[in-house]
Amino acid sequence: MRFKMYGSFRCRMVLLLVFLLLDCNFSNCLADTSSEATMHTNNWAVLVCTSRFWFNYRHMANTLSLYRTVKRLGIPDERIILMLADDMACNARNKYPAQVFNNENHKLNLYGDNVEVDYRGYEVTVENFLRVLTGRHENAVPRSKRLLSDEGSHILLYMTGHGGDEFLKFQDSEELQSHDLADAVKQMKEKRRFKELLIMVDTCQAATLFSQLQSPGVLAIGSSMKGENSYSHHLDSDVGVSVVDRFTFYTLGFFERLNMYNNDSLMSLFSSYNPSMLMSTAYYRTDLYQRHLEEVPVTNFFGSVMEMIHTDSAYSLLSRKESFRVEIKMPADKSVPDKKRLMDKPSHLDQIRELNIEDQHGALKRTWSTIQKEMEKVEDVDAFVSYGLVLIVPLLTVSMWLKW
Amino acid sequence: MRSRMAGITEAPGETHQISETTHKAEEPESDFDPKTMRNSKPGIKRLILTLSVLFSFLLGFPFLWKSVEIYRAPLPFREIDMLSARIESNPLLFPCHFQAIFVGFDSKPSMTPDALGSSILSQMTKLTSKPPQCGTCSTNFSIAVTVDSSSGCIQTRNLEYTSSWRCGLMGTIDFSDDEGVDKALADSLGGKVYSVVVVNGDREEVRAVVGKYRHAWVVGRVSEAEAVARAAEIFVKVFMNGGKEEGLIHGEFMPVGADGKIVLSFNLLNSDPQDWVYDWDFQSIDETLLAPVIEALESVANISVESQVLYHTPKSSFSHWDDEQESYIFSAKDLPFFVNSNEWHLDTSIAAGGRSKILQFVVYIPSARECPLLLQLPNGEISKTNGFISPMWGGVLVWNPKDCLKDSESQHPLWRTISQQDLQEVFEVVMGQFRQLFGLKSNHVYVGASGTSSLLASERGFTEWELDVLSRQHTCFNLHSCATTLGSLSRLVQSLPRMIIMDEIGKQVMYSLEAANLARSNASLGLYDASAVSSRQARSLAEDAFFHPSIMSVSYYSFEHCFAVYSPFFLPVSMHVLLAALREWRRYKQENKKYLAWKTKVKKDS
Repeated sequence: MRFKMYGSFRCRMVLLLVFLLLDCNFSNCLADTSSEATMHTNNWAVLVCTSRFWFNYRHMANTLSLYRTVKRLGIPDERIILMLADDMACNARNKYPAQVFNNENHKLNLYGDNVEVDYRGYEVTVENFLRVLTGRHENAVPRSKRLLSDEGSHILLYMTGHGGDEFLKFQDSEELQSHDLADAVKQMKEKRRFKELLIMVDTCQAATLFSQLQSPGVLAIGSSMKGENSYSHHLDSDVGVSVVDRFTFYTLGFFERLNMYNNDSLMSLFSSYNPSMLMSTAYYRTDLYQRHLEEVPVTNFFGSVMEMIHTDSAYSLLSRKESFRVEIKMPADKSVPDKKRLMDKPSHLDQIRELNIEDQHGALKRTWSTIQKEMEKVEDVDAFVSYGLVLIVPLLTVSMWLKW
Repeated sequence: MRSRMAGITEAPGETHQISETTHKAEEPESDFDPKTMRNSKPGIKRLILTLSVLFSFLLGFPFLWKSVEIYRAPLPFREIDMLSARIESNPLLFPCHFQAIFVGFDSKPSMTPDALGSSILSQMTKLTSKPPQCGTCSTNFSIAVTVDSSSGCIQTRNLEYTSSWRCGLMGTIDFSDDEGVDKALADSLGGKVYSVVVVNGDREEVRAVVGKYRHAWVVGRVSEAEAVARAAEIFVKVFMNGGKEEGLIHGEFMPVGADGKIVLSFNLLNSDPQDWVYDWDFQSIDETLLAPVIEALESVANISVESQVLYHTPKSSFSHWDDEQESYIFSAKDLPFFVNSNEWHLDTSIAAGGRSKILQFVVYIPSARECPLLLQLPNGEISKTNGFISPMWGGVLVWNPKDCLKDSESQHPLWRTISQQDLQEVFEVVMGQFRQLFGLKSNHVYVGASGTSSLLASERGFTEWELDVLSRQHTCFNLHSCATTLGSLSRLVQSLPRMIIMDEIGKQVMYSLEAANLARSNASLGLYDASAVSSRQARSLAEDAFFHPSIMSVSYYSFEHCFAVYSPFFLPVSMHVLLAALREWRRYKQENKKYLAWKTKVKKDS
């Protein structure tokens, strides 16, 4: 019986496949045209540090440096999702408590003020990361932990940590596979959660992490290619660990001389990476990105651009130039014509509401639900259980007696 | 008993055979080869035993399959695809009814209602875009024409709609008072059909006004052709397209959240409280000015309002002193950097759910060092409103305290409340910004090919015909979004055959499809508001289903994983059971063959 149903399901699948193929063409066409038609309205940044423990200090310093840069160039905290294990600043091995540096000259304290970490400690998991990207949170998750982007958003996704061929290690216990990331980006594109996406990865064999991407509008750069490692920049002998990675160090060097009014292009950023200094090849893929890199300013992703439109005139709500206190007495007769608009609404809304409330319960389900309701009414559960146990004894005796 | 014994142990049988041959020597020496023959039927007890074990094994298999079955609520894939296909192929068009009334064209007997009707229709079809955009009127709209002359009213023979126009009405109306004319026309026309009244009067200058409801009027000395052109333009450009060129509102001017809610967050920012601190009576504004606006937009979005007053909130861009204006100027190129998100903690709403849209309205009071602060436009003019918006975010307005007076003697900062007059002016600009965020213009003029029309303002912030346009456009957008979301969901669900789909998702999809169909039927009936409401519900249910937290591809295991978990339990045992059954079966067949051979031999002998 089960297999027969499976067979008919297969037939339906074939029919649907034909429908879907036609649909896919339509939606792809739509997607391509609409992404050019929508305006760029806001910028988001998702910065993820996937390592923990003291010896991975440099990964946290990488992420915090980029956080500082992005904030300086204008993206506000409410549009930055920062995921860190956050166990460096107050680590017992930290000689400079509550301070995190990315250079041995200690000029800049990255953990100084106004650092808002959204996911910290053990909340940095693959599941939470994918939930942030796809937007599937539980209802109770606050707005500050959600990526509330829309179809006009440019998103910067920066990931750093330990990685390998087609994976990225999360907190030393799980992995993010490249096909999972590609799948999440595909779902984001389908749901129009971004206009353009820039992925920057600073790990070993970083370019393999975005090798499976297929969605249009995505630009990706990794610090090293398949088979290459990414190296740290220098060791801070005072703190005792390496404090920054090479790729991020040179990226920060590029941004330090910029402010939010600059419009250096992305091409200048990408070509500033010198393979001999990085000791790896910074590889970027532009096949999914329509615009030319020379025309795209870095502030499109690293800064915050808000399209502003001037308000031409005020909209005078009151036609007569009287103070509105007089108007308060008048609403009685004004409200009558207004209510007419909503006349046609109620019956149809009620129809749907009724359907929401009563489901098509079969008779069996109804009795089961009444039983469940009765069970829920029992308040003293322990007494109920002990009554049940006591009931076992006479049942046993009855059955034994029946046997003989 | 004997055969059974023979089946179990062969040795006694054998000895029996040998004793038989030794005792009955006269019997013919049968070449009885125990390897190929046996004289007793082989027993089937062993076979039954092993087969029963195998059978019980096989019997348990469906139970195992059911226990590892993944519960997937059945989703109506076919209906989802049909909905997507329908929405792609037929853009949603609404039936619209128009009415034109010509008054005072006594001297032109050639103007019959039918001729006028057909010329207006041809003009309108020239002005509408082909193919028609989603959310506009369908191409077969009906136009009823009435010609009101001194000899009486003549109407087109339009069976579905009888005009309620009172002949001779126009003589009694004073055209200098727009509000009065509007009210009078509303009373007489009823307000359900889009109407244009063209009055051929004595005045040289032609004036066109669009009222607060669904009618407009043109007064002045107009020729027949001009009257027809004006009427057609008002019908198409104003009533159908909402005063915009293309008639289509882009997605960035539809700030309704995915759950159909908007939260308006009003913030009064005191940049430097040392100079002065302002407060406002928001409660009164909320009750008198905002409440009607929120009620008017009820079909488009479910709106709630919050407000807060913040202190120590400087802006992050710079301004310079201008001697000519005697004030501090910030220009249009500083606008993107005006909002200082580090210090302005605007997004503190607790009531807003995860999928609602928050629109921030900021009233910024500059410090004494930068007072007065004015906005200079790129063409050199100073802005009248001092405000600007950012689509999908909200609007900012700079309000300068009167004369920038600072009480320099007192040490304590000045605590003041914004006066009612000023507050009203501020909120008029805010209303303009709110309209801009919805894609409508904040000014009161429409400039068209055949002339300028002035648009009357409504106390509710939006006129009836503007609300119609918004309802239609939002219905179109919501249905489109609902169809794409459901399509994405069905593709996603089908690409992950081992993912659990909970009942809730199935229910939400079903209700979403029903609401979408209801919206389409309402649209075909011409009920703009009802279709907007049901399309909003359809979209929010579709989004709830798509963003259900249980749909996570990383959480579900593949078939290989399942196989790897269960095979160490069952595979070795099942192998042995199967082999044993096969072995017993083969043995039984062999024994049976032997027995049959012996039987044939006996038969041959006897």
